[in-house]
Amino acid sequence: MTPTEVVEQYEPNFEAWIDQFQEWQTRIGFDTAWLGDYRFDIKFDWDTAGDTIEFGDFEGMPKWNRRMQVPQQSIRDAIISMVSVQGDTEFASVEQQWHLLDSAPTEYDRKSALRIMCEEQRHGWQMAYVLCNYFGEHGIREAQKLLERNSGGNPHREDDEGQRLLGSFNEPIDHWLDFFMFTHFIDRDGKFQLKMLSTSSFKPLAASMGPMLKEESFHLGTGANGLRRIVKQGVIPCELIQKYVNKWVSTGLDLFGVDESTSAQWSYVYGVKGRYDERESTVAADREHLNEESRAHYYTELKEEMVRINKGRHDDQPEVFIPSDKFHRGVGKYHGKKFDLHGEPFEGSEQDWEKYLTTVLPGDADEAALQEYFKEEWIQYREWKE
Amino acid sequence: MQAHAFLSIDRERLRPFFERVPELFEAHHLSEAQNSTGYEELLYRIYRPYKGEMLDMIDEWMGHGPRNWRTEVEREVMLMLYAIRYPDTLLLESLSEDTQMDLTRLSGYLHFTKHTYSIWDEDTRKGLEKLGILIPQTDEADPFIYGAYISAIELLKDLAPYYSFIEHDVPRQRLFQAALAAYGREE
Repeated sequence: MTPTEVVEQYEPNFEAWIDQFQEWQTRIGFDTAWLGDYRFDIKFDWDTAGDTIEFGDFEGMPKWNRRMQVPQQSIRDAIISMVSVQGDTEFASVEQQWHLLDSAPTEYDRKSALRIMCEEQRHGWQMAYVLCNYFGEHGIREAQKLLERNSGGNPHREDDEGQRLLGSFNEPIDHWLDFFMFTHFIDRDGKFQLKMLSTSSFKPLAASMGPMLKEESFHLGTGANGLRRIVKQGVIPCELIQKYVNKWVSTGLDLFGVDESTSAQWSYVYGVKGRYDERESTVAADREHLNEESRAHYYTELKEEMVRINKGRHDDQPEVFIPSDKFHRGVGKYHGKKFDLHGEPFEGSEQDWEKYLTTVLPGDADEAALQEYFKEEWIQYREWKE
Repeated sequence: MQAHAFLSIDRERLRPFFERVPELFEAHHLSEAQNSTGYEELLYRIYRPYKGEMLDMIDEWMGHGPRNWRTEVEREVMLMLYAIRYPDTLLLESLSEDTQMDLTRLSGYLHFTKHTYSIWDEDTRKGLEKLGILIPQTDEADPFIYGAYISAIELLKDLAPYYSFIEHDVPRQRLFQAALAAYGREE
């Protein structure tokens, strides 16, 4: 075979994607030496994925194992879209967080963050594998795109690079308070998405979710415990912490998508994406309000978690609370409307509203104050020094 | 890394245990005897470069008395802690005889410095036995017995469904070791 023929007959595949992945790591600033002996394995839990479609219009039929078993192109497109969005968030979070390793408050926090970043990359790797191996050229192209975008929150970013697909994943994570907020609030949304895909009619997607959910539990634990340690230490005032909670909760709620979503409804009809409690629920799905229902579960969980975080609060500090789900929303029926932190309609002019936002969301002065607190023992067990 | 014998494990026998891992973990980890706050503090307070005082802290949490090791023996153990790479256990064999006598103590050092090695514990061993994974009883730092023990816990981590994993930032090895200990103690 001549060199020209070799090139002509070259077919991009997952192996070629792996080469691009390594280039991506370097491009975004992630030093591969940090990986140590971590290996990117493909993991499936076929047992938990189930054999029979569990909901939707194809309920009771065998789950689809291959692309050609999927009965309609629109369903294949929906699956590709779900896998692509999931993969996009996994790589985005690494782009947002890698630069924090140098400023970790303790060695254990550094190791935990690194482990989270390794596992998020593995999740992205898994999604790329599903795209490349089950969806032909279309899937391969989508897998490549996962490595072409770059989070707006990455300090290593060229102006001409595309942004990540979802808002939260373009936010900068400038410091460790944001890191713990992100792993607590945004990774929790990730858990919901993974759980909703774990009952998918496309079996390789459903079987990918079990191992990812296992790993995600540590990420959430890291976030929740980090916030508990900060509140317990009492150096950063709860009023300041509250501003960051307000910022991340509203963006986390937005991640569940629009209200009365037709795409969520179609995904349910196809059996591609279920409800958060699909296997446990005894009532029929309200197909027109699927995103609202997931968001409500998430919101309830946030409130329960905040009770635990507050337990270590110093007596002279105000309780940190989860703001109303109407506050500062960028998506859904409350988008563009003005509600205060407690869900009451905001009375006042546009100027008053802007002024109000500066009192409840973090601004430059808050960031500067935070940098001062970071010079103190701002989190429990901060003994390790570089 | 799992020993070949583990591949024939009876998965059905594991199922009831997997369903109870969160509850069993809390029963053990949050028990007064385990001092969970002390455990979690140690995760943050043991870091490179390792010092004798750090080993003292681990000993104290584990309820061990003073080590009374000669200086060169202590150095030997420190070097082992730096050199060992999970899941290797053969380096245990290179230690002097007086340190080899105490697998529980050494496994504590390995656990808190690496987070991947599990603490050797008789109740945990019994828990594995109940699941059909037979690990011999010993107090000595036998690299093969300890190697089989950590491999067995690693295997359980791999086979467990996602609902066994609770949202916690302790190492996953601790999650399973603690659950196994509570399981092993049950009548």
